[in-house]
Amino acid sequence: MIELTINGLNVSVEEGTTVLEAAGVLGFPIPTLCHMEGLSPYGACRLCIVEIGEPPHSRLVSSCTYPAEAGLKVRTTSHRVARARRMVVELLLASCPQSKVIQDIASELGVRTQRFRQEHEDCILCGLCVRMCEEQMMAKAIGFRGRGQNRSIGTPFDSKSDTCRLCGGCQYVCPACQLRCTYNEPEKAICGGCANLPPPCLEKDEFDDMMCFMDPCVACEITDR
Amino acid sequence: MERFSSFEDFSTFRKLVRKKPGSDVPCLVICAGTGGQASGANDLIRIIKRHIIEEDLHDRISLRITGCLGFCEMDPFILVEPDNSFYPKLRMEDVPVVIDAAVDGRVVEDLLFVDPSGEGVLHSQDEMPFFKNQTRTILGKNQHLDPIRIVDYLQVGGYAGLEKILANPDPAWIIDEVSGAGLRGRGGAGFPTGRKWQLARAAGREGEQKYVVCNADEGDPGAYMDRSLLEGNPHAVIEGLIIAGAAIGATKGFVYVRSEYPLAIKHLVIALQQAREIGLLGEDILGSGISFDIDIIRGAGAFVCGEETALIQSIEGRMGEPRQRPPYPVQKGIWGHPTCINNVETLSNVPVIISQGAEAYRGIGVEGNHGTKIFSLVGKIRNTGLVEVPLGTTIESVVFDIGGGSPGKAELKAVQTGGPSGGCIPSSKFDLPIDYDSLARAGSIMGSGGMIVMDENTCMVDVAKYFMSFLKDESCGKCFTCRKGTQRMYELLEDITEGRGTPEHLDLLEELAHVVKDTTMCGLGQSAPNPVLSTLRYFRHEYEAHIHDKRCDAFVCKELVGAPCQSACPLGTEAWRYVAHIQRGEYEEAYRVIREPNPFPSVCARVCNHPCEDRCRAGTSGGQPVSIRALKRFVTDRVDPSTFQPARGSKISGNVPRVAVVGAGPAGLTAAHNLSLQGYAVTIFESDDRPGGMLVSGIPEYRLPRDVLEREIDALIDENVTLKCGSALGKDITLQGLFDDGFKAVFLAFGSHESRMLGVEGEDADGVHRSIDFLKAHNLRGEAMARGRVAVIGGGNSALDAARVAVRQPDVEEVTILYRRTRNEMPAFEEEIEAALEEGVKLETLVSPVGVRSGDGKLTGVECIGNTLGKRDSSGRRRPVPVEGSERVHDVDTLIVAIGEMPGSECVAKSGVVLGRSSTLEADPDTLLTAHPGVFAGGDVVTGSNTVVDAIAAGKRAAMSIDRYLRGRPLEVPAQPRLPRVLVEPVESDDDAQVTERAEPPTMPLRYRRSSFDEVEKALSVKAAACEAGRCLRCDLEFTRPASEPEEREAGGKSA
Repeated sequence: MIELTINGLNVSVEEGTTVLEAAGVLGFPIPTLCHMEGLSPYGACRLCIVEIGEPPHSRLVSSCTYPAEAGLKVRTTSHRVARARRMVVELLLASCPQSKVIQDIASELGVRTQRFRQEHEDCILCGLCVRMCEEQMMAKAIGFRGRGQNRSIGTPFDSKSDTCRLCGGCQYVCPACQLRCTYNEPEKAICGGCANLPPPCLEKDEFDDMMCFMDPCVACEITDR
Repeated sequence: MERFSSFEDFSTFRKLVRKKPGSDVPCLVICAGTGGQASGANDLIRIIKRHIIEEDLHDRISLRITGCLGFCEMDPFILVEPDNSFYPKLRMEDVPVVIDAAVDGRVVEDLLFVDPSGEGVLHSQDEMPFFKNQTRTILGKNQHLDPIRIVDYLQVGGYAGLEKILANPDPAWIIDEVSGAGLRGRGGAGFPTGRKWQLARAAGREGEQKYVVCNADEGDPGAYMDRSLLEGNPHAVIEGLIIAGAAIGATKGFVYVRSEYPLAIKHLVIALQQAREIGLLGEDILGSGISFDIDIIRGAGAFVCGEETALIQSIEGRMGEPRQRPPYPVQKGIWGHPTCINNVETLSNVPVIISQGAEAYRGIGVEGNHGTKIFSLVGKIRNTGLVEVPLGTTIESVVFDIGGGSPGKAELKAVQTGGPSGGCIPSSKFDLPIDYDSLARAGSIMGSGGMIVMDENTCMVDVAKYFMSFLKDESCGKCFTCRKGTQRMYELLEDITEGRGTPEHLDLLEELAHVVKDTTMCGLGQSAPNPVLSTLRYFRHEYEAHIHDKRCDAFVCKELVGAPCQSACPLGTEAWRYVAHIQRGEYEEAYRVIREPNPFPSVCARVCNHPCEDRCRAGTSGGQPVSIRALKRFVTDRVDPSTFQPARGSKISGNVPRVAVVGAGPAGLTAAHNLSLQGYAVTIFESDDRPGGMLVSGIPEYRLPRDVLEREIDALIDENVTLKCGSALGKDITLQGLFDDGFKAVFLAFGSHESRMLGVEGEDADGVHRSIDFLKAHNLRGEAMARGRVAVIGGGNSALDAARVAVRQPDVEEVTILYRRTRNEMPAFEEEIEAALEEGVKLETLVSPVGVRSGDGKLTGVECIGNTLGKRDSSGRRRPVPVEGSERVHDVDTLIVAIGEMPGSECVAKSGVVLGRSSTLEADPDTLLTAHPGVFAGGDVVTGSNTVVDAIAAGKRAAMSIDRYLRGRPLEVPAQPRLPRVLVEPVESDDDAQVTERAEPPTMPLRYRRSSFDEVEKALSVKAAACEAGRCLRCDLEFTRPASEPEEREAGGKSA
């Protein structure tokens, strides 16, 4: 067992536990976007940052990837953490303002406006869908391509994947949730399950089973084609 | 070569080769690294080979093709051993000459390296400042070996370290040696190498597979030392890897090198094959029990793969993305096994440490930073190349002693170290020692050793933008804050450089930069904001100039600069526009463009310091600037001034406010004229008996004929302007008195008319004159004060004017200018210095007066002390340092002191106007308002001695401010970039008429000049003017050409 201190409270956890999980043991809430139980830690969204060590030599790390170390001193809501987290949310809002998940986090942290050029992106590249597809669905149908500002998620060469089983898992885990279906290009669609249904407005229950949270619903547009 | 069967075999052979005397024929050494090849080394080699074959010189000369020798600026060059004669930038036709001379043991004086600082021809590489001031422990070997010949490497002592560890394969000893040597990682972070090896040795289970990796993923823009090491001396890296492997217990090594380095890969592949062939790689190397082999992994060139965790992912065949540390690679690296990653240069240092011993290595450098470091010195520097110096050497010594300083006239402003992750260090901190810790404290990093030198033509905001643009593409994109943070920082910088910046941009940029630094996972993201933060730290004023004044003083940011000639002019004169009209033969139109912003067109056409020409793109892009002033002279000489009728503002209803202007110099006259156009009643008070200020009293008539000046001044005095000469402020009028008389606003522009004195004993002797008194006596009263031998002290324009007037006066025998620095530092205009020398004025530099000798109260001589140039002062110029015992007395009859002027501003003391340094007046630089309400000040009285065009600009600004003040409007006007707006169709150029030489205006023959005060410079001919105007690059078209030609604009935008 490893002993560490989080916000002044001692906690002992098993070796291999992350700081995020250790904080969870004590009930300290840490916002996350790219973390999900059952998927490997990734550390992409930088929302779960915590401050470790003693100032002035302390630093910020992502708690979802940082392993608990003996004697580690962690602060989950220090001034420095709060300032950085607010900026992260501001950046998220600037890119993906329509995401309900991001809006909720922003409102929780008191971020009401953002000061950058407004973008309307569908994806924050948290990589949950990629890990879901690879680790839980064993499909590896989608992955990252490109780097820097050209990074994106998709199937190889944007062609319809042979290994995709249209499980919809990628959509289920997506916090920005507009990306997987690509409804107006059905041939590239990863899910597109709604296209096989009768008009969803009539058979609402069945449509809900698709676990597609797209709003507005686009099934009619696909089935019309 | 045969495989060595035993350790003894190898050892014997090595010693044999080592002892073998070098061949006694001269050897031609050709630098054929990638840089050398790009400059034509391959052609050189072909010519040499052919010449040797044709002339049958096989026995009399040898040829060695090596990797990079460092002095890339001089490529392609030949170095002739044994004398190390250095023939730089050789033309192919000169190569046989050099070979023949080398064969005969001669040198070709004409082709040898000539020292630019005046030391003359240098016969040996060892005398050249570039090489002499370096310590080339690592890089120096490149000269002596052909990278594809292992025997060469053995000959220079290579594999001696390997021999030592094969004889004594004790890992603890190796690690102790490396730790004891104090070697720190040369990749940039400076982690102690010995400690890393210790950790890697201790990591993992007993017998677990371990790896060593040589990180050759060098990706910083402008850095190429790792490439040059791999190209020039691959065996040193191999030796270092084997030793590292033996130390940590790894049996497998990787060299991760980017595919963009084909020559490095080629040499490495050959070297690996050779090492394997003779048994230095493989199972149980020479019976020592050590097994080790090396694979090359070729990276696809992602910058992020230089980060160790990303590099590991890439070696494993996955996407190069960093992951969280801990666990560190020494614990869990490639495929989960302990992996030790070292930089190319670190590994190249290892054989040196092992073969020389830790103690010897420790002796180089400073405490905590031992050994040497290679830097690639690039950018605005005379000697571009690879430089190896002991850690702890100052930046100054690298940049100036080795690098040779600025290649042109521009002052150096900063160096950027550490590539995109590093920061900029300003020239005021060039005394900083280069070591890991000092650089980090200064806000930069050592990085892998890129050192980009920047001069005043580099815009620091643009530099930050460039690095951000690099990083937003090269961030792996995994961390949200790195991917979006770099993109957002780029956007903010883009806004600032394109004139959309607000103060909020700066706050947000800084806030974001700190958060990105704090919250990203790997080194790339954590150091990505460094270019922004360090430029903000040292060059905040440049950001502010971009945001508040919409100005880019380096003339880089296109959307702020527009046409450089226009934005360089304090008056905003559309020089491009009148030059275009001249080319089209529309002289009246051209005159209107000239006159519109400037009430003194003929004056400026003669005496302006033409900042427009200094910034002309035809000049800054390598050629000669357009003779804009001569073109202006051409127009003003031939067009009737009445062509232009200034626009008058609407009549002021009711009582017309009265404005007082003190001083009838260019600033005062301009202000009065512009206020008169607005309808105000202006009274000018001038202390001298005629208007003109410095234009008449300071500038001699051979530069500015009196009739030209008088005509221009007369045209400005209209019915709204009253001129009162002979009334001096403080004597005849007072500031309070003016307000009491009903003046609503006052503009103080009485100039800077009091010469400073030397402050040495005896300067009150008869025959010592202040330059202003001397010039006024001549210009206003026609008196000649100079006689006999004349000395002028000073290096400014006032000194040059005094000297050139003196040389024309009848009783003068000779005139000498004494200046304390060198000619390069003289503040006077270059053309003035040139003209003075032509007219027979002597120039003696590096002397300062220390005393004045006199007999019977009459001047007999001036005692001077010699100077050398020492450290740079705040102005960036090197400070003169007196040389003890070099005093000397110059016998002179007249001494003119011209070491600067200051305003006589006692007249406004205690009136509420604040005085600044050197008794100048304090006024807001934008509105010209002083601390006294309603009192404005501008021109030389505020700035100290300055140019005519700046004074005119101050007059215009004052008129605008006073107008706003009297109308009760806010004085501040938001700045706007001055961009070209009017399209003047370019003339279809006739290809035959292409002239590339700059047209200089004709001058009066020299033989008349010494005896005459007639104007020296004449106007251009019609043909010359049209040709010269045709040389204009028309920077304006980018802004004024209709959008119907989108492709061209797009292309222009990309290349800028």
